[in-house]
Amino acid sequence: MFTKRLLTVLLVSVLFILAVAPAAAQEGGNLRWSLEGINDLVSLDPAKASDSQGFTVIGLLYGGLVRLDGDLNVIPELAESWTVSEDGLVYTFTLREGAAFSDGSAVTASDVVWSLTHALDPATGGWTGPFYLSNIAGANEVASGGTSELSGAVAVDDRTVQITILQPSAYFLSQLTFGSAKIVSSKQATTDAQWENNPLSSGPFQLKEWNHGQGIVLVPNPGYYQKSPLASITMPFIQDSETAYQLYRTGQLDIMGSQQNGIPSVHVAEAEGQADFRSTSLFAVRYVAFNNKLAPFDNADVRRAFALALDKQTLANDVLAGTVVAADRILPLGIPASELPVTSLSFDPAAAKAALVAAGVTPETIGTVKLTYGVEGDNERVVTVLQAMWKESLGIDVTLEPLELSTFSARLNETTQTPETGLQMYYSVWGADYPDPQNFLSQQLRTDVGNNNGHYSNTEFDALVDQADVLTGDVATRLGLYNQAEQIAVSEVGWLPLFNPRLNILVNPKVVGVVFNGQGLIIPDFAALNVSA
Amino acid sequence: MAGKTQARDRSLWMTYWLRLRSNRASVVSLIGLILLVGLAAFGPLIYTKSAITPDYKAINAQPLAAHWFGTDNLGRDTLARLLLGLRVSLIVAFYVEGLNILLGATLGLLAGYFGGILDVLVTRLADMLFAFPGLLLAILVAASFGAAVTDRFGGIGRLLLVAGSLSLVSWPLMARLVRSQVLVLREQEFVVASRSLGASDAWIIVRHILPNVAGLIAVSSTLDVAGVVVNESVLSLLGLGIQPPDPSIGKMIVDSMPFLEANPLQVFLPSAALMLIVLTVSFLGDGLRDVFDPRSLP
Amino acid sequence: MGNVILRRFVSLPFVIFSITFITFWVGFLAPGDPILSMMGGRNDQATYERLRHLYGLDQTWNDQYFRYLGGLLRGDLGLSFRYQGRPVVEIVSGGIPVSVSLGAVALVLSLSIGVPVGIWAALWQNTTAERLSMAAMLMLYSIPSFVLIPIFRWVNYQFYARGWPSLPVAGWGQPEHWIMPVLVLAAASVGYIARLTRVSMLEVLKQDYLRTAYAKGLGQNRILWVHAFRNAVLPIITVVGPSVAFLVTGAFVVENIFAIPGIGFLSVQAIQQRDYPVIQSTTVILAAAVVLMNLITDLLYSLLDPRIRVEG
Repeated sequence: MFTKRLLTVLLVSVLFILAVAPAAAQEGGNLRWSLEGINDLVSLDPAKASDSQGFTVIGLLYGGLVRLDGDLNVIPELAESWTVSEDGLVYTFTLREGAAFSDGSAVTASDVVWSLTHALDPATGGWTGPFYLSNIAGANEVASGGTSELSGAVAVDDRTVQITILQPSAYFLSQLTFGSAKIVSSKQATTDAQWENNPLSSGPFQLKEWNHGQGIVLVPNPGYYQKSPLASITMPFIQDSETAYQLYRTGQLDIMGSQQNGIPSVHVAEAEGQADFRSTSLFAVRYVAFNNKLAPFDNADVRRAFALALDKQTLANDVLAGTVVAADRILPLGIPASELPVTSLSFDPAAAKAALVAAGVTPETIGTVKLTYGVEGDNERVVTVLQAMWKESLGIDVTLEPLELSTFSARLNETTQTPETGLQMYYSVWGADYPDPQNFLSQQLRTDVGNNNGHYSNTEFDALVDQADVLTGDVATRLGLYNQAEQIAVSEVGWLPLFNPRLNILVNPKVVGVVFNGQGLIIPDFAALNVSA
Repeated sequence: MAGKTQARDRSLWMTYWLRLRSNRASVVSLIGLILLVGLAAFGPLIYTKSAITPDYKAINAQPLAAHWFGTDNLGRDTLARLLLGLRVSLIVAFYVEGLNILLGATLGLLAGYFGGILDVLVTRLADMLFAFPGLLLAILVAASFGAAVTDRFGGIGRLLLVAGSLSLVSWPLMARLVRSQVLVLREQEFVVASRSLGASDAWIIVRHILPNVAGLIAVSSTLDVAGVVVNESVLSLLGLGIQPPDPSIGKMIVDSMPFLEANPLQVFLPSAALMLIVLTVSFLGDGLRDVFDPRSLP
Repeated sequence: MGNVILRRFVSLPFVIFSITFITFWVGFLAPGDPILSMMGGRNDQATYERLRHLYGLDQTWNDQYFRYLGGLLRGDLGLSFRYQGRPVVEIVSGGIPVSVSLGAVALVLSLSIGVPVGIWAALWQNTTAERLSMAAMLMLYSIPSFVLIPIFRWVNYQFYARGWPSLPVAGWGQPEHWIMPVLVLAAASVGYIARLTRVSMLEVLKQDYLRTAYAKGLGQNRILWVHAFRNAVLPIITVVGPSVAFLVTGAFVVENIFAIPGIGFLSVQAIQQRDYPVIQSTTVILAAAVVLMNLITDLLYSLLDPRIRVEG
């Protein structure tokens, strides 16, 4: 759950953008940019990083073939161009001329192939590669340890890479922007066992210092095609976001809150309206999911009753004081297909009671149900409100089961494996890995996919998303299919969506060249990133 | 000396009572503590406003006629929560300190008095448990038995289960404190003299050792009360404390901390309740120390 | 006395062995594992199983335990699950000096305030001044650190906002970074130490041999320091000895909020993320430190009061 939220911020698309007009660049500034919620980085190996703080740093240290721009379009990075075959299965990338690692050596096609293979290699010990790169031909064979040759990635010559994928995909290039597809120096990685502590950089910055438990310092990489005028970036690790806020307030930071731990909600009101306040809605949805294999939630009418009984507006606006946006559907606003309408189950206590009658149950026959959640952030406040609302609208007693986070993950996994002994219903969150409805619908609610912990199943839904997943040319038809699927999942309450979180951060107005959107803080052009005097 | 009668026993307790009564601070503390316990026991019966029903239109409200002490961050009545929270926190504090004394003081006393292999075993076990990650044990216990205990005894049952499992590994400090005192006592002239007169170990422990370590036990365990109340709230941060929506004093402080600047009263009230518990219990502990002191005057 | 020291060192491996065994079992039985914790909510069963295999988590408990024990005997504490590829020795050894020095400074501060106040309180027992100062100490003691810190910070911010000299909010490395954490840590223990000193002084002041000393006509100062304090100090060093363990595990809130790279927060985090090698290692190191400190404490007992025989 934790990582879900972390990743939320990472690969999501734009809701609205607060662009900063490029100002006259000043030489030699130091950008102080905190990494909250951690006390150290997990690893500087892109294949091993697993949280949004880590990927923020990975994005500065390493380049990929492609990356996202300020509008979350896929743009060239170390690949200057690419072509796609007619059947949509073969991508041929041409590397940028002169692209170099921080020691001056050239970034070559074999570095790309090595990096992709490394991310999939089970001996690496990361999990993001097998998850995000599984569409590359031969990826599963490498990931399962069968071979160390990634058949789908070929270095044609020094500057040409050919990648073959298994299924045509509208989001394959988006997947390549992820950390696990970043390019590391194969020469260094194969000769220096300690390389990840002092990696050569293919991105806009290189590592100067890594003080474990305290922070890192980065300086520009002269080999990168966009030269930042900054002298350095100092990134302290600040576990507690209240502390980061206090540091910012006393002039010790230029950017705070940019990963997932934004301004503490009690300070939002005082920060709002100031020049350094930035706010965005995230491409994430917090929801309640049900165990569809256990009574009473194997009955869609019971799930509907639980959905109709919730006053999400009050939850979002009064309880959470507008720090979130109430959600009546699965796709967060801004994800493709979210602009198409769905008929949602809005708060209606009378209809909720009617749905219970339709299901042929009463609060007495249902008895007490248990809502399980991991203890973190605002979770407890939210579920306490849900409990009170269900009691008031339906007369059903819900007990709350708080679990320590690792125990919660284990119980969720158990619910997937053996639903009979699993959770009855649970409070959870999903954040987009890449801005595509497939990530919210096919990967979450299709029958028997790994993330479908609650075992929601509808054959019509399955057919619609299966058809949409492989459609590449006709965008409108594809999104239409997802829209129909979403309508089914909303009406049958595959998930009970509650709200989309917002992220509020502080950026010193002197910082130029950054864009804040649903993905977090993006730097569209590193040559324009600076701190003005 | 050996042939003590019932009448003499009664007069001993009477002496204790007279000594306690003569100490003004102790009397005030005793009355205060009885009031607190009374509030915890009967308060929720008299002040019947719900401690768990949210009022979304009165979130973080200031005190007014409808809510005497204002409301918390979900619009729940603070006075009702304080009364209920006081009940939970007092139960946990007495329970944990009871276990602590039962395990720690007993083992420490026996180890210090008898020495030898018993002392070696107890001190080695204590050494080990000082470093033991008790949190891990609490997680395991909560996960293994938590659900079953909650179903049978409610949220307070699970809390007592978790707190009890932590007591199993947190007694060593008390044991070492008592042991250190007993090591001194058993070499004192009056103990040595008693022993040479043929007094049994049990008699020496009850008559000479226990009265002399009772003060230390009273002071140390009453001091721990603050720690217990606060630690329970830290446990709740990991999903191991009192189960929502029920309150405890510590949890009320933790829950209101993020809103400190918006509504400081909600931090102040439970903090003041915690201080009251600590002050009354500690001064009573002091009083009891004096009472049990064999050499203090009536 | 040499005998005692020798026997303690012989018993050390048994203590270490027992604690690794118990910690291992509890960790093995506790739900959740580092892989699930790392993967968050993503459910990719094949990758999950492969990673469990890679980290040896699919082995039987005795294979896992004896592999760990074998490493421990060679002085190899293994690799962290969370901080992938980094040796636990490196992670833990970075944090220990920080936690220990911070805790030691806080301890010295609270001793140097708590002990004199405690003695004073014992001598002026039952006076109003004594009652008030003890009440103040108790109140300070009963404020949780997570409440005290925001109060400190609020005061500090008022200084900052007026352009007066102020302290850094958080961080580590400069001398001024120590002030607030040390004050917060000391605030929690000074009341405890003062009250403990007071009660043991009272205990000792009433002993017969002090009355004898009075009767012999020894000067009050001499009685106080030579006889009374020497015996009253026992409970205090008893508390100080094993407090190395509490300095580490108890400081996690302070380390967390002040962004201090100690092992208090690290060890709590390791438990939450089921980073078994780190949990085991901090436990082993703490156990060794506690055994050592308790040995020193016991030796001090005999030194302060030669009549005390320490076993073991």
